[in-house]
Amino acid sequence: MRRRQLIALVRKDLRLELRTRETIVAMVLFAIVMMVILQFGFGTRDDDLTRFVGGLMWVTLAFTAVLGVGRSYVAEREQRVLDGLLVAPVPRMVMLAAKAIAILIYMVAVEVVVIPLVGIFFVQGPYWGAIGWIAITALLADICIALAGTLFSGLALFTRARDLILPVLFLPALVPVVIAAAGATHAVAGGPHDMSEWRGYCLFLLGYAILFALVSIATYDAVFDD
Amino acid sequence: MDGVDLDLAPGERLALAGPNGAGKSTLLRILATLIRPQAGTLTVLGTDVAAGARQARGGLGYLAHDPLVYPDLTARQNLEFFGDLYGIPDRDARIDDLLDHVGLRGRAEDTVRTFSRGMAQRLALARMLLHRPRLLLLDEPHASLDQRGALLLDDQLRAARSDGRAAVIVTHEVERVAPLCDRLVVLGAGRVVLDEPIAGIDPAVVRRRYEAVTP
Amino acid sequence: MTPSLTTDGPVRLRGERAAIIWGTIATVLVVVSTIGVFLVAPEDADQGIIQRIFYFHVAIAIASLVAYGVACVAGILYLRTRDRRWDDACEASIRIGLLFSVLVVITGSIWAKASWGTWWVWTDPRLVTYLIVVLIYVAYFVLRSSAEDDRKMRYSAIYAIAGFASVPLSFYSVRVAESFVHPVVFTGGGANMPTSMLTWFIMAQAAMVALFIALLEVDLLGRRSERALHMLTIRLERG
Repeated sequence: MRRRQLIALVRKDLRLELRTRETIVAMVLFAIVMMVILQFGFGTRDDDLTRFVGGLMWVTLAFTAVLGVGRSYVAEREQRVLDGLLVAPVPRMVMLAAKAIAILIYMVAVEVVVIPLVGIFFVQGPYWGAIGWIAITALLADICIALAGTLFSGLALFTRARDLILPVLFLPALVPVVIAAAGATHAVAGGPHDMSEWRGYCLFLLGYAILFALVSIATYDAVFDD
Repeated sequence: MDGVDLDLAPGERLALAGPNGAGKSTLLRILATLIRPQAGTLTVLGTDVAAGARQARGGLGYLAHDPLVYPDLTARQNLEFFGDLYGIPDRDARIDDLLDHVGLRGRAEDTVRTFSRGMAQRLALARMLLHRPRLLLLDEPHASLDQRGALLLDDQLRAARSDGRAAVIVTHEVERVAPLCDRLVVLGAGRVVLDEPIAGIDPAVVRRRYEAVTP
Repeated sequence: MTPSLTTDGPVRLRGERAAIIWGTIATVLVVVSTIGVFLVAPEDADQGIIQRIFYFHVAIAIASLVAYGVACVAGILYLRTRDRRWDDACEASIRIGLLFSVLVVITGSIWAKASWGTWWVWTDPRLVTYLIVVLIYVAYFVLRSSAEDDRKMRYSAIYAIAGFASVPLSFYSVRVAESFVHPVVFTGGGANMPTSMLTWFIMAQAAMVALFIALLEVDLLGRRSERALHMLTIRLERG
């Protein structure tokens, strides 16, 4: 029953996204613009930015994530169907998981485009060899982003100026993810691989995901409990 | 909302009236488990909502002002989605039946965005009936349904009596729903000011009570 | 709880006595520990007088964590009971914790200037972490100001819980990064402190925690009296 509900919720979000293609396209474009701005912001058009690739990538992805997370209840809100979900016998935990999975899928879809671009734009050193390790890092960081993002977008849903509230709530909580994900990326992409460093950061991301999963499960009932 | 104490028997159909701001819709949203009462208890279909909201929700059918369907999905996709949320075993057959019933079989594969308001609300009617709810909660249904939808709803309410399904109908037009209801409750400023069987009720009394609580 | 209209004597509110007691304890502890830290404790051979700020810097930092912990517990209790007094306690704790955190950043910055000649050092984990913590809890008030009543209290409680979960994560992430990039410049300091320093450190810590409790009691008392006054006004208006 729960699994059927979960699949239905995720499939519905993806169907809506495939029909309108609003969110993912906007996220990808935003990420590309962001990287161009970062490049000019650093003012080093000819320099080797390989050393900063972790930071550049995760600053870009963090802001892109805010954009995507901000859209996560937009279908329910703009199309005024949230009550329809809330009167249905869906455990709030299933709603949480469904939204988190949808955000995770958006992030992965964006990264498939963005990560190779990061390599082309910024990396002169060894990079492609590390792509597998970077993918694992990204997946872990995406889980963190999805869990924290779902909780905070639920909180921002009914506030005034919700589009402003979400980044204010979400970005400070995302700082540890950016630190760890950038560090892990740096460890494998910026020169010689340092696997123990990479492992340390990835374990941290795992811990973050577990902690936020617990907090979300414990509090998500109250988000929609009017 | 203060001191509202109502009991609804199976098969009983209750019309809920009152002036704007009396708390009709709020009471309906509380019954639909969308608002948690600040004090007091709510038992829906034998389940205390504070303890087992999910079980209570499984037996509720809620028809609101908004159709509560996704405009960017097709009629069938919407019903499939809600069918999965309610875990209906015979989903596809049930959906075909209901689409026939509300006269939308021919438009099943069109997105709801292309529907007229009356059609969307008929789809909402199908969504509400999908899981065979035992308590219907209707928020001014006749205001948003078209002629055809209204007749379908009237049939449902007539059948409810013999099926043992209860209904609460928030309404502005008591005369319109009176023949379909057993009992009338008038709310004024969050209190029950009248609660009587509809049969043999004196319209003058209703009007007087109504005016007394109209600000 | 509500003061009666018929009493002749001064109206007493619940918690007034606690506020007075904790206020007194905090005052005494703050005075004693200030004297102790600046006049009695031995001077650090390397860092001199500026090292004395360390006692309060660390004590305030830990007291602010206590405040956030209290806020988290109050948030949990609010969600369980839906009693607005827990919301009061939650908000008051975070307000004081935030004040303390800002003090941590300021004292840390002064210290950085004295020790390393610069106001801000990104390599000092404590400073960076507290900056993040300040950002997390400023957002709490932004959230509060954009919702109403029941929802405001509910969302605040959830955020207080999630915020408290982010605090250790911020601490740890900054330290993980530090340990790889730089040797940590300055470690906690408890382990190899002379006993007299440790005594005054504990004293300063007790003073800061007592200060937090006193401020919390006063804050809650203020809210209670405001509410009581509000109810009195309503009753008087109704005659």
